Formats: sequence, C-alpha cells, structure tokens
Amino acid sequence: MNWKASIDSEPFTTHIAREEPAMDYTTPDHSKSLNVTRRQILAGAGAAIAAAGIRPGPAAAQARKGEIVAGLSERMLTLDPANHYSISATSVLRHIYDPLVEVTNDSKFVPCLAESWTPVNNTTWRFTLRKGVKFHDGTAFTADSVIYSLKRARDNTKLIKAFVYQDIDDVRKDGDFTVIVSTKRPFGSLPAHLTMLGILPHTAAANEEAFFQKPAGTGPFKFGGWTHGEQITLIANEAYWKPGIPKVEKVVFRFIPELSTRVAALRAGELHVIDRVWPDNVQTLRSTAGVRVLDTPAIEAQRWIFQLAKDPVKDPRVRHAISLAIDRNVIIKDLLLGYARPVVSPIPPGLIGHTNLGQKAYDPEKARQILKDAGYKNLSLDFVLMKDLYPKQLEIVQAVAAMLGDVGITVNIKNLEIATAREARTAGNYDMFFSGWAHMPHDPDWYLGQWFTKAGAEKLTRYSNPKVEELIAEGRVPDPKVRQQKYEEIEKALWEDEPEIWPYYSVAIYAVSEKLQNFQARRDYYVLLYDVGIR
Amino acid sequence: MPRGPAAGEAGGGPRASGFAGPDPLMQAYLLRRAAQAIVTLVGMSVLVFVILRVLPGDPAKMLLPEGAPQSAVDELNRQLGLKEPLHVQYAIFLRSVFRGDFGQSFQYRAPALQVVRERLPATLQLTFCAMMLTVVAGVTIGIVAAVRRGTRYDYAGTILAVLGQSLPNFWLGIMLVLLFGVTLRWLPTSGFENWTYLVLPSITLAAYPTALVARLTRSSMLEILSRDFIRTGRAKGLAERAVILRHALRNATIPVLTVIGLQIGALLGGAVITESVFAWPGMGKLVVDAIYFRDFPVVQTVLILSATIFVLINLLVDALYTVVDPRIRYR
Repeated sequence: MNWKASIDSEPFTTHIAREEPAMDYTTPDHSKSLNVTRRQILAGAGAAIAAAGIRPGPAAAQARKGEIVAGLSERMLTLDPANHYSISATSVLRHIYDPLVEVTNDSKFVPCLAESWTPVNNTTWRFTLRKGVKFHDGTAFTADSVIYSLKRARDNTKLIKAFVYQDIDDVRKDGDFTVIVSTKRPFGSLPAHLTMLGILPHTAAANEEAFFQKPAGTGPFKFGGWTHGEQITLIANEAYWKPGIPKVEKVVFRFIPELSTRVAALRAGELHVIDRVWPDNVQTLRSTAGVRVLDTPAIEAQRWIFQLAKDPVKDPRVRHAISLAIDRNVIIKDLLLGYARPVVSPIPPGLIGHTNLGQKAYDPEKARQILKDAGYKNLSLDFVLMKDLYPKQLEIVQAVAAMLGDVGITVNIKNLEIATAREARTAGNYDMFFSGWAHMPHDPDWYLGQWFTKAGAEKLTRYSNPKVEELIAEGRVPDPKVRQQKYEEIEKALWEDEPEIWPYYSVAIYAVSEKLQNFQARRDYYVLLYDVGIR
Repeated sequence: MPRGPAAGEAGGGPRASGFAGPDPLMQAYLLRRAAQAIVTLVGMSVLVFVILRVLPGDPAKMLLPEGAPQSAVDELNRQLGLKEPLHVQYAIFLRSVFRGDFGQSFQYRAPALQVVRERLPATLQLTFCAMMLTVVAGVTIGIVAAVRRGTRYDYAGTILAVLGQSLPNFWLGIMLVLLFGVTLRWLPTSGFENWTYLVLPSITLAAYPTALVARLTRSSMLEILSRDFIRTGRAKGLAERAVILRHALRNATIPVLTVIGLQIGALLGGAVITESVFAWPGMGKLVVDAIYFRDFPVVQTVLILSATIFVLINLLVDALYTVVDPRIRYR
C-alpha cells in the first residue's frame, strides 16, 4: 500500500547525469534504473517538465522566491560537518557545504564537487574535481580544500567522524583539480562516506573556531545565523554553481523533538515540512486541508540483537525458536499500521549487497518443539530497550513478549534510559536488545564491519565468526561486483545463524504543505530543500 | 507537574518584634544569608559533579554513533578530560568556574555558558510572564472566593483551582495549541519570536501555581477575615474595599509570598514539559537533554545558574517580608 515514494521523486531521479565512464564503478550493477541512457533521461525530464506544466526556457530560469520553514525531529548540535553522525545535521549542513559525492534517493552515487572518481587499484582512489567553484567567502575550491577537509577528519581525533577516516593513508594532489587518496586497506565505501562529509575551504585551518562562528561552504545556501540546537537560518547562495538552484530565498530549520508539536505547527501552517511522522499521526495529517503525507521505504532495518556469549541465547536453537515464535506480519500490520516492510535479508533493498532470501517463517508449534528437543524449560529473557528511541517500540516488545510467552519463554522488558541501556549492552547484561541501523551512508560496510567482526562486536553482541570476518574484509574492495557477491555470502550465513532478528525494514514518513513543490521523501531521512520551491 | 530542585533555601524565617524603625540587623542578616548561599552553591556543585559521574552511561558513547569502536570511545573520553581522577576533574572545573569558564559542552562543542546563555532570555521571559499571571490571577481568584465565600464565585474558583492543579501540563498545552493554534489560528503553536508566542506557554505553565496561590490566598484570607481587627475596621466605618485590600490582604500575603518564591524555583527548572510542547528554547529542556546525553558541563552550568537565581529570589522574598509587614525583623 504505502511503499510508493512520493511522486515528486520522479523528476528528481532524472537529474542524474552520468557522464564519466568511471562512474560505472560507483554504482552497484544490481540496479536496472542505472542503465538508462542520456536520451532516456532527457525524455524523462521532458515528460516531467511537461507534466508539471512548466515551460522550458526563460520560465525555467525564473527568480527564486519565498521561504521554507522545516521542523526536524532531531536537534542539530554543530556546524562542523566532520563532528557529528547525526542525520539532521547531515541534512542541514548539506545546504551549506557541498560534499565531493552526492547520493540520490535510490542510492546512486553522483557527482557533486568531484566530477568523477575512479579506483586506480584496491587501495587508491582518484578524484577529478569541479572547476570554477567558489566558497561563500570567496576562496576558490581546489584540491587544497579537499586535502585539508579529509586530513582534518582523519587527524583531529576530537572529531566524531575521525574513526571512519583512520583507514586513509595519504591525500595528495595531482594538479589543482585532481586528488589521489591512498588507503591503508581497501576502502570501497569511501565515495559513500564522502557523501556525508562537507568540504571546507583550506583557509579555515588558520582559525577553525572563528571559521565555525560563520562557516562558509560551496553549497546552495549561506549560513544566516543560529541558536545552538534550536533553529538555523540559511540564505540562498546567488552564485551557486548548479544553475537554477536553490529555488527559494531563505530556508529555516527548526528543531522540534516533540512530535505532537511538529504536527500541530505543520497543521497550523507555521511549518512546510516535518520529518519522522509516526504511523498513528498519518490519519490526522491526511485529513488536514493543505497537508500531504509522503512515505518511502527507508534504508533502515530494525534489529533485535542477542548477547551471543550468554546462555541461553548463545545457543542457535534458542535463537531459531525465538525467531519462529515472532509473528512479524502482526507487528507490521497492527502495530505499525502497515508502515514497515517485511525483511528478506539483513541489508535493505536498494543498497549494494541486498538480496532476497525470503521472509522468516512464523511457526510457534515448531518453536515449541525445538525448545523441547533441546531440553529448555521455563526460559526467561531480558529484553532491553532504549527509552523512546524508536516508534512504537514498547508496544512492539510487549507484543513480542506475549508471542514468546506463547511458546513458554518469559520476557522481562527493561525500558532503560538510553545511556543506561547502552551501558548494560557494553557490560553484556541483556539477552535481547532493541536496536536499529540506518545504513548511512547508503553502504552496508560500516554495519557489517561494526557488528560482525570480533573487534567491532566485542562490547556489543560478542559476535565472532572468522569466515564472515574474512568475507567482510574481501567485500571492502571498490569493485561492486565483488562486493555484491561477498555480501550475499555474508547474508546467507547470517540468515542461517540468526545472530540477530531483523523484524522489519522501516518506512520514512514525512508530512508537507501542499505549497511545497518538488519535495522528495528521502529514504535516508534527510530533509533536502535546495531543489524545492514554494508557491 | 515536575518540581525544580529546592536548593538553597535554609533557615532565617521572619520574626516579629515590637518596634519599628531602621534596622542595622538587616544588613548583618543579609550578609549571613549571602555566606550561606555560597556554601549552598559550592555544596550543590560538588553533589552535581559527583552524581553525574557516578551515573551509569558514558559521554563519549553518547556522542559517537551507535557501535563506534571502543578505541574511538576511549580516545574521545580522554579528549573530554574524563579519564582524569574525579578530584582532579573537580579541581580543574572549580578553577575554570572562577575564571568564568564553565567548560565546553560535549554535545555542542561550544562553551557551555554560551549554549546556556542563548536560552536564558527565553527562560526568564517565560518564568516572568507565568509568574505575573500566577500572582494576578491567583490572588484575585483567592480574594474573590474568600470574600464571596459559599457563593457560586467561590465554587467556580474552587473548580478552577482543582482543574489547574490536576490537569497534566502536557495535555493542557496540547489542547491549547489545538484550539488556539491549529483550529482558530489566533496564536502561534510553538517557537519564540515575539510576545504572541508567550501567551499559550505562559498559561500552561501558570496553571498549576495559579491554582496553588488561589487556594492559599483564599484560606489565608478566610483566616484573617475572621480576626478581631477586621471586625474593628468594619465597625469604625472603613470602606469594605479598604478592609479587604489594605488590612486583610496585606496580612494574608506572607504565606502567599513564600509559596511564590518557591514556585519561581519550580518554574525555572520545572518548565521541561511546557518547553517540549511549545518547542520553547529554554533551559529546562536543555538540561534534561544534557542529562540524557551525559553532557556534564551543560548540566553543571544550568544547575549552578538556576540555583544562584533561586537563592537570590528567596533572599529577595525574605527582604520583601519587611515591606509587607514592617513588624518583621531579622536577627
């Protein structure tokens, strides 16, 4: 029912201009929509323009006007693109800073400040940079900006993103508009990670603190002003290198964690777009005049992890029985009102590595039998939740407790404050733990490397499987064909072993004012407004 | 309704004595209270410092994404200065505070004082408006209910007071937003730009203390109104208005003043729910988030700041007693 992405997203996909042959490397070949020719793209764009009733030519270059106010659920805490892993900060800062590589809603990597990129070998990437781009402060964008931004992210270990870039060995230039990045080991997901890293002018190095008081990127909007974590104002960059963008003069992002407040402000016409709407609110919003609800399958899988070094869940038979006892469809249909999708492999659709392994069965009878054969009686499990983190999580776990009770397993629900829950997980004091993983940056390498290697999982799930670890290492190469194949192998092993339960893929729900034009419901929960107009 | 930390208030209640005139004792009293306040603040800072660090949970882990490697967690904790022994951390903290430096917020990576200061005006304005509303509405309702005891005015006042004290803030706020913001569109639903943004949050925030003050004023007035001097006043032919406002109310004010002083503390720290509902950029929500995310410097800054304000206000209330009732002297 609700899986269709917003209609608005269709014209957007036609913007993908694919010019460099090297780009084939950047895209997994599992996706058919990639093989479109330029002519098809142009035809599609023409159709979209015709459908929207906009005449190409002078009318297309009409002046930008208006102001958009967005309400985001998560507070943005910093203006430093290397110092957060927040989805909301990534969204907002994307308007100020351009990254080297951009990711489309269907997880294709397309040029931004880098016009093309190609792996020279398994541990070297070569980026060709866009010429004639200027930062808001007038500094020219060159290889020096890239070298500074990347080396900073690696070397300043105070920065939240530093740990991701430790694999970078060197960043050097080959002329002013070519950068060569060599890595200590294969880093196939580097272009994906770069979609989340805004490029700073190298002149910022002189005084970073002062720079972030009034930051300058090359992005479609200039920084206007902000109150830490409350709201930020962005002003159109008239000289943006992409013609026709941005479409409005001003954008304000307000940070409103309270959902009912976001909903009320949108219904009152004070906001034009809100993110992270819950299924329960959809009905109310749909019935409000002037409001549209958009949803799209997210690149996020919910996951209930097991403590794999702890009895009884370290026994694969117990995990298998638990998996069989859970009716995932009831959770999706009755608790999430259809706003979730059945899982068919750990990596969600659209990402490299996704494959269809079929849904997990619901068979409580078989679950009882397995437990009986294994000699388990009166099992009792602690199911830990991070308070208020995921939509409907408590109701879902209560339902799961009832389902597991049905096969003779008692569930103790521990709804703990986030920091306390995480501490319990580090200490290993849990049997099951309600977690989720949004596959930022549209690549599963981070997820696999973190949760399914011995070093990564040591203080989390205690997972350890040398064979899987080897496959993960092999899957780090830049070649998408190799990656796809390795990931499929990994997923088969995980699907068999069930070190965690993937109950459903999440759906991203947005509500927008009908005045917005061309807004796209993003699968990565971003709210991107540089290409959006307002009536 | 959540209540703020009742830090600071201690001892030194009003005392009656038989003479009037300038009071040298007052100065000594205020000095003593100021000294007490400093001890209170230092004690509180130690308590907050220790409790935050004893809590389970790891600041670096809260800052890094889910499942960042342990090496990154350790490195970040080292960078944040959390690997030092507790007493060393406290010494560094105290030294910085005396220089006016409350440390860098872990979450915002900006000076904690700057983050808090950005929210101080919104907090103070909301507290001030809610308090004005409380005093005006609460005292008026209380007087009318007492003077018209047993009439429908009294009953109406009682019903309002019961509602004000029993309606959850959260619910009341959302209902006001739905009615005046979404349906009627008379007032903005959330945020803070001009005075219209103050109306709904002030009413929401004032509901509970207004009810409290109304009930207290009513009972306090009833007690005074039955006293002999009131009857004397009426007997000597004073206008009823003068009897009520000049004689009865003035005497009934002392307990009300005390409660208002305490309520300001509750409002300063206890506006969390109201701030959430109205996306109000105040300190209440800031400090709760900071506790969740183990942002120690922000928690410490907010608590020290609000405790200081609270202690000052109570000092002011104590001083006000002498204005309201010149018989009161301090020792």
